[in-house]
Amino acid sequence: MAGPEGAAAPAEERSRDELRERFERDALPLLPGLYSVALRLTRNPTDAEDLVQEAFLRAYRGFGSFKEGTNLRAWMYRILVNAFINTYRKRQREPQTVPDEGIEEWYLYDRLAAQGAERSAEAEVLERMPDEDVRAALDALPEGFRMAVLLADVEGFSYKEIAEIMGIPIGTVMSRLHRGRRALEKALWEKARERGLVTDRV
Amino acid sequence: MSPIGCEEALRRVEAYLDGELSGPSLLELQRHLGRCEPCLGRTEFRRRLKALLAERCRCEVPEHLPARLRALLDTSEEAAGPIDRRA
Repeated sequence: MAGPEGAAAPAEERSRDELRERFERDALPLLPGLYSVALRLTRNPTDAEDLVQEAFLRAYRGFGSFKEGTNLRAWMYRILVNAFINTYRKRQREPQTVPDEGIEEWYLYDRLAAQGAERSAEAEVLERMPDEDVRAALDALPEGFRMAVLLADVEGFSYKEIAEIMGIPIGTVMSRLHRGRRALEKALWEKARERGLVTDRV
Repeated sequence: MSPIGCEEALRRVEAYLDGELSGPSLLELQRHLGRCEPCLGRTEFRRRLKALLAERCRCEVPEHLPARLRALLDTSEEAAGPIDRRA
């Protein structure tokens, strides 16, 4: 809002232009990862777009106070996660726990190994699974677990970064990853069985 | 640093694949995996599973979205402050 008078206006305008330029240069390239996570969180392309827009808008508004040189990527994901929690968690109350009773540590590996396949072929069964099955298995996880697994495995964040992004202690991150992954393996096994890629032999 | 058994090694695999092991606990695990095929097989399986998840969950950004975001930023220029408050 450059007034007709006042020597400060051009300077303010310039720094706003700089801010905008810096935001486009540093934050916009994070869009593919942010959109992928948004899509897996909302499980719906329309909601994912809305969520990403909301996150970018909030980030842009707060960008002036973001300290350059600190972890912009984690900061952006934190904004996305918060926007998701504020907007979407109200809508859908889900149980925030996974049914991990009785999922043994190597549930999936042991079952795939028992298929009698040659060595190191265990993972190949999974590679034959269609994308939609893998995504559906992940989508079935409660959001707190899904979020942790996405941030670690898809986005490659460290435990410490995930703790910051999600606003939870590191110990909780580790337990969500551990339990979320076991539940995910079980879901993958069930999908593979439905597809006829494997048969129960355990 | 002392040799670790399979049970201990497998307990560390998850943190190892997440890049969270360092120092002696990393070296002990690497040494174990170097001479224990079954544990190495399980480790490689989990590594591929992790990679698979990343591959299958990355999706294309809708073509119109970057332009829409830029337009959104244009309309919020007024609200963009606090501008450069850094001392």
